[in-house]
Amino acid sequence: MGFLTWLEATQFPAEWVRSSIAGYPSMIALHALGMAIMVGLSLLLDLRILGWFAGIPLQSLRRFFGLAWIGFGINFFSGSFLFSAQATSYIVDWVFMTKMTLVLLGAVTAGFLQPAVAKVAPGAELSGGTKAVAGVAIVIWVVAIVMGRLTAYL
Amino acid sequence: MLDSLMDWLVSTPINGLVLNYAWSWPTLESLHFLALCTLMGSLMIMDLRLIGFNRIIPLQAVHSLMPVAIVSFAINLITGLGFIFGDPHTYFANWAFWAKMLLVVLAGLNFLLYFTKVEPTILKLGPNEPTPMLAKAVGSLSLIFWFGVLSFGRLLPYLGTGGG
Repeated sequence: MGFLTWLEATQFPAEWVRSSIAGYPSMIALHALGMAIMVGLSLLLDLRILGWFAGIPLQSLRRFFGLAWIGFGINFFSGSFLFSAQATSYIVDWVFMTKMTLVLLGAVTAGFLQPAVAKVAPGAELSGGTKAVAGVAIVIWVVAIVMGRLTAYL
Repeated sequence: MLDSLMDWLVSTPINGLVLNYAWSWPTLESLHFLALCTLMGSLMIMDLRLIGFNRIIPLQAVHSLMPVAIVSFAINLITGLGFIFGDPHTYFANWAFWAKMLLVVLAGLNFLLYFTKVEPTILKLGPNEPTPMLAKAVGSLSLIFWFGVLSFGRLLPYLGTGGG
């Protein structure tokens, strides 16, 4: 808790996010942007891995995963700023902590699926295990989004 | 005219449905966020391909994502109307809301341009063939408009002076 108390007391980023005109709005807008890129692309790529939109070659997914990581980076950055403003409250909020766990698990699924689809030969099928990970990933992202939204209410 | 529209919106049973239950607003928001993700995800893949990114994808195949975009937009239209029925005074008094709506209309007109002028030409193209200039322009505008919609939507409570 010592670190979080210190973080929450910093002029920058914590106080800047809490009380400047641009702080909170700019970070929350970036967070929505990064979410759309990371989660939006991940959901579509996971559906493709499950067999939807079969005309899209699996080999093309690697570059979209690359783009998705840019969204993840934007949200790691903006999320850290937002966290600093209320660090000691967030850390004891089970909805927020569940969301964070799910986001990290979602990132792990993307880290697993990106090389898995890059390796598959043209025309070859993906393994059942890879498809199962994509199915789980969809559930993880959907619940993460809902939990993230509900964080505002607790 | 706007006043009588607002009076009507708050007099409907939808207004009560959105405001009188603690779970209504967060449920609409969660759906709005989920569908914005699938809308932006499908648009990014389609528009970037129109622009020329990831050319190994056949244009006919990328087109198969269109139903995802349309259903996602429909969900956001319905949930968005829920917010407006619930609290029209706050939204209508907020300039960022009107900026967002203007961008939705521009994105719609851009889609019409895609549907009438771009789609008929690109569906005939073979794999790895470059897309025409108009396709690149329409794809770029689509991304600009929709990311604008997203930004104004998220900034709505901080930009406008509508209170609430």
